[in-house]
Amino acid sequence: MSGRARRRGAVVAAMLLAGVAGAQAEATRPPRIASINLCTDLLLLPLADPEQIVGLSPYARDPTQSWRAGEAARYPRLSGEAEDALAARPDLVLAGSFTRLETRQFLTAHGMRVEEFEAALSIDDIMRQIIRMGDIVGHPERAAREIAAIDAALARARSTVARRRLRVLDLSRRGWVSGSASLTSALLAAVGLADAARELDGRFGDFHYGGFASLEAILSVRPDVLLLSEPGDHAEDQGRAFLMHPALEQFYPPSKRMVLPERLTTCGGLMVVEALERLTAEVERVER
Amino acid sequence: MMLVVVAAGLAIISLGIGPVRLSPRAVVTALGGGGDAIAEVIVREIRLPRTILAVAIGAILGLSGAALQGLLRNPLASPDLFGAPQSAALGAVLVIALGAADVRSWALPAAAIAMAFVSVFALLAIAGRNASLLLLILAGLALSSLAGALTSLALNLSPNPFAALEISFWLLGSIEDRSFRHVVLALPFIIAGGAILLGRRHAFRVLSLGEEAAQSLGIDVARVRLSVIVGVALGVGGAVAVSGTIGFIGLVAPHLVRPLIGPDPARLLLPSALAGACLLLASDVAVRLIPAAEPLKVGVLTSIIGVPFFLYLIMRERRSLGGAAT
Repeated sequence: MSGRARRRGAVVAAMLLAGVAGAQAEATRPPRIASINLCTDLLLLPLADPEQIVGLSPYARDPTQSWRAGEAARYPRLSGEAEDALAARPDLVLAGSFTRLETRQFLTAHGMRVEEFEAALSIDDIMRQIIRMGDIVGHPERAAREIAAIDAALARARSTVARRRLRVLDLSRRGWVSGSASLTSALLAAVGLADAARELDGRFGDFHYGGFASLEAILSVRPDVLLLSEPGDHAEDQGRAFLMHPALEQFYPPSKRMVLPERLTTCGGLMVVEALERLTAEVERVER
Repeated sequence: MMLVVVAAGLAIISLGIGPVRLSPRAVVTALGGGGDAIAEVIVREIRLPRTILAVAIGAILGLSGAALQGLLRNPLASPDLFGAPQSAALGAVLVIALGAADVRSWALPAAAIAMAFVSVFALLAIAGRNASLLLLILAGLALSSLAGALTSLALNLSPNPFAALEISFWLLGSIEDRSFRHVVLALPFIIAGGAILLGRRHAFRVLSLGEEAAQSLGIDVARVRLSVIVGVALGVGGAVAVSGTIGFIGLVAPHLVRPLIGPDPARLLLPSALAGACLLLASDVAVRLIPAAEPLKVGVLTSIIGVPFFLYLIMRERRSLGGAAT
């Protein structure tokens, strides 16, 4: 116990030094980190040194959800449960606030330092999380560089802003609409688009944190454009078939469907730079 | 006759209501292909297929229930208790879970029909010829549990990350937001299954005298049995392929009309189909009217109504069930 406590003390000292004294902190060993949540994986990857990462969650290597699947595959794969996170002997474990409570409690009960991250719902959230992660890994200068990159991307998006304030509905399988309090909604606002989920809100139920919209509701709100996570017309299940319903296809041919891959919107992090670029390009395509 | 009027009335209501409020007049003009473009699409592409599916699926479930009750001379017979919808759902779930084919292709009804056939066939094979109520119910319970377990396995092993969500929704049973592609997918099988079952109605009447009597009157009981299995599998499989599992209509519908029509199993078939259509239409209208945070699924409602009815039937048949056990 005392050895672990000493190590934890060292971590705290390293963090303080990194924050206060900068270069002098290089002498202390940077913390070794395990992540058991996709979003913390993706915040960690671009900020930490490779030798700091002892393992990532299984979803980190799934190319449909993870923005850095290829890079993540180079690190050990953790199950996302407490057992192997402990066995990897990290200095601290990163988890999402939605990670199973039992797992987090077990880790804390065994003396592990657990850092929890909420789901990012806005670009400000993302920036705060990047700064916090930069401090945790001991590389605040890298965090600052990421923030600058996001600021630049935001400025670029604003300069090529849509000619007309298009009303966009972010629509997923089975009619799921991400609510007005979501990262996608924040991205839409950043490139000068209006989130049509607000128009559904109240009339067809509560859509603040998202909800399922019926075809009839979507057609009566009649957004200018739909935002989907993937193109194509193969319905591998009934949920995808919803998006290919003849009533939707009639009003929304491919020229009125923007595509923003899921791996750019599932989590908040440096991927917003690419998300903003993709979205700007899609707006230009739709307006043409 | 009265049932036709009720069904037609319910069908009209079904076209008239939905999340978007449209005046009756707007609905009629939209149906005729005029008026507001959005209203036209809502009525013709969303509500019309939904209504057609409710009528067709309700009817085939009612008809299957009446046919099985006629074949087995047993008031507790129905596709649900025999695990047919559950097995059909397993077939469909396998297609979804493996991501093998587009869900709007023929692969889905084909898999559902095949599994429904296997389950009804297995049930009649396990329970044997003059099976008692108890034996049939137990065998049916075992088969539907098996289908449920295999469905969970498919869910567990599926490579499609959304499979869990999709399969759970599937098992709830719903006909909302379906299109004419779904109608085209289900209707041929439902009509074929229905025709086979209706074609056997005279055999059911003779069978009510007992199997030996029917045999001596020139009825090939084995063939009747097989054709009922094929008819139920085609109908239920086709229905489940687009709607998921919608339970207990096959059990309830024949009992609703029996007091009106009398016990003759041949005369019971068509009214049972109509009663089934009415039941599903009414339930599907009800799920759109009942206010809920998330829209209710029609299969949930029919089961909630159906299971207490099933318990009531068991109470009524308690004596014969107890007798069969001794």
